[in-house]
Amino acid sequence: MRNRRDFVKTLAAATAGSFVAQRPATSLGAGGFAWAQGGAAPKRREVFIGRKRIKVIDSHHHLNIADVARVVKGTPYEPQAVTTGDGIVGPERIAWMDRDGIDVALLTQQGAFWYGVQDRGLAREIVKAQNEGTAAVVAKYPDRFIGMASMPLQFPDLAAEALEDGITRLGFKGAGISAGWAGAKNLTDPEYDVFWSKAQELGTFLFMHPGGTNGNGDPHFGGKGALPNTIGNPLETTIFFSRLIYEGTLDRFPGLKICGAHGGGYLPSYLGRTDAQCRRQGDVCSGKKRPVEDYFHTQLMADIMVFREEGLRHLVAELGVGQLVYGTDIPFGWPVTPDFILNARVLNDAQKEQILGGNLIKLLKLTPATTA
Amino acid sequence: MQTRRDFFKSVAGAAAGAYIAGRGVSASAQRGGGGGRGAVVPPGPRKQISIGGKRVTVIDVHAHCTVDGVAEVVKGTPFERQAGGRALGADRIALIDSEGIDIQVLTINGYWWWEVQDRDLANRIVRAQNEGLARWVSDHKDRFVALTSVSLQFPDLAAEQLDYGVRQLGLRGATIGGHVSGQSLSDPKFDPFWAKANELGVIVFMHPGGADNIIKEEAWKARGDIGNIIGNPLETTYFLTRLIFDGTFDRFPNLKVCGAHGGGYLPSYFQRTEVACDVRNNAMCANKKHPREYLTTNIMADTMVLTDEGLRHLVAEMGVSQVVYGTDNPLNWPVPVEMIVNHSTLTDDQKIQILSGNLMKLLKLTPTLA
Repeated sequence: MRNRRDFVKTLAAATAGSFVAQRPATSLGAGGFAWAQGGAAPKRREVFIGRKRIKVIDSHHHLNIADVARVVKGTPYEPQAVTTGDGIVGPERIAWMDRDGIDVALLTQQGAFWYGVQDRGLAREIVKAQNEGTAAVVAKYPDRFIGMASMPLQFPDLAAEALEDGITRLGFKGAGISAGWAGAKNLTDPEYDVFWSKAQELGTFLFMHPGGTNGNGDPHFGGKGALPNTIGNPLETTIFFSRLIYEGTLDRFPGLKICGAHGGGYLPSYLGRTDAQCRRQGDVCSGKKRPVEDYFHTQLMADIMVFREEGLRHLVAELGVGQLVYGTDIPFGWPVTPDFILNARVLNDAQKEQILGGNLIKLLKLTPATTA
Repeated sequence: MQTRRDFFKSVAGAAAGAYIAGRGVSASAQRGGGGGRGAVVPPGPRKQISIGGKRVTVIDVHAHCTVDGVAEVVKGTPFERQAGGRALGADRIALIDSEGIDIQVLTINGYWWWEVQDRDLANRIVRAQNEGLARWVSDHKDRFVALTSVSLQFPDLAAEQLDYGVRQLGLRGATIGGHVSGQSLSDPKFDPFWAKANELGVIVFMHPGGADNIIKEEAWKARGDIGNIIGNPLETTYFLTRLIFDGTFDRFPNLKVCGAHGGGYLPSYFQRTEVACDVRNNAMCANKKHPREYLTTNIMADTMVLTDEGLRHLVAEMGVSQVVYGTDNPLNWPVPVEMIVNHSTLTDDQKIQILSGNLMKLLKLTPTLA
């Protein structure tokens, strides 16, 4: 089985590195990246709805921390460190956000290679470097970024520790779950209760991003169409959410708030089959206490990376606008500027404001007014 | 790799097996559907569906069955146990009467016969299936049509079987699974089959078997029957996605491929597929047209998204011409015809298209109701 770090590396390198320079115009009309091709930094775009200045918060925003290279030097993980490229946050990232009109971004690590590290000490050191590095980025641009803790999720106790350290010492507002599982472990296994319990206790907002396929699918996802991403990503999120529901994790920890990347995978857009099976065969759903849709109306959230208005309309209808948050996947070049929300005919102004920032302002207890 | 039949046995068997004896549901139907109780209803009055005061025909594209005659062919072979299942009988007519289904499109699913390596045996199994279907249809002309089984592990043979089934036996298209022993059906080796379907202009109904080509069985050892609820739409999603990106629809532009269960995740979560070729520079897409063009012409889906909002979304994404009523009979999914008839946003014309208009054309049926 190909391991996750190779997979993530391939994915990240192939996409992130060369993309900006040769970005094709997408059929959905996303703008180009003139600034990245040598132009002057653009003026910061300020987003208004009517006459009201809106704080735009990006929930799905990646970074790499170059200092990880120091920690993994001489280990098998040395090739996984990313020290250059657009995953490293600097003035270009700020220019990108300025151009698109993103005021604040929640920073989560790109990739999940450290979930494969079996040495507790090394895993802890990698995560520490990531979190200290993230805190330094936030300190440099305090009004533009919010830190999200990374965790060595293969060790539930260390994950709980890293989470607490991130929230209480480093001032992070949440944490990133970087894959739907950690090696062979399912995150719904009882040993993870120590982690979920800590997340609930701290009231942590969790942003889950898939790490690709689960490895089982590698040979089949090798075809055309970037299938590890196109299918593998939403699939991993779908299995992750399904397990949280069916294994009763969300019932044991009703305070959890977990946002799934890419519109939360397939489930929010294809909810009927999940719930119908419970009505047909109650015995297979005995691990959970509530109707499936209830979890999606309360604990599970999704970003709006569905790219088209009809998809957005469907997400709003299924989850409710209070469960949806703006997300871009920067530095990857998906067509999701704030205009996707601003121009949506199916949303009223209040709903647009909720999705672009309001929901996260409330959840993370942020200051509503922008100081820009 | 684990074989398809082992997978069915372990995943569907646990849930479905217990019901087979007691509820009289065919084993192969259970495999495709993956668990759940079969519906058995006593004979009763035939429900008749009207829209706007006008009687409309209801055609069900998604209906499992087995036929007599296969057991004899596989007797003494390793496939002997696969031929089981109770054949079609009066209870099926009672069932469709009670559900307001006028015409049911029968298919034999499970595709265990795709593992038969002996070409002659493979051909005889399919022959028995197709002749059995033709016999039943001929005896119940006004209520049933059927789609051919094919031996897709032998693509040239599959093409012959499809041709024979359509031209000689009066069957209306073909039914297939999502892969042959893990091979994607977009592989050019399967082109002879697609070429024949393209030439004949017939529907190809695809039914998944739990994505055993993609996900190892252990991954499904979880509550919620996720081998079915995730595995089935996943297999269909993967199957249709590959037909798009590998250029199968470009090579055979006349194809009409209908995916069970709302076509899996693909139509309901189409946007990531739609932008993949533009956004992912490692996508290597072979398709010549924008992915949405296939979704609105070559790809069809049944209505098994199970909610009013899900169906509205499906129609919005695919266009009403691509959506057809399907029940998964005789399994008891909550898909009554009222889900279409009483839909909150579809127009009467759209409802009629979904209930029968689209399939009338594609199956070359003559309207028989006044």
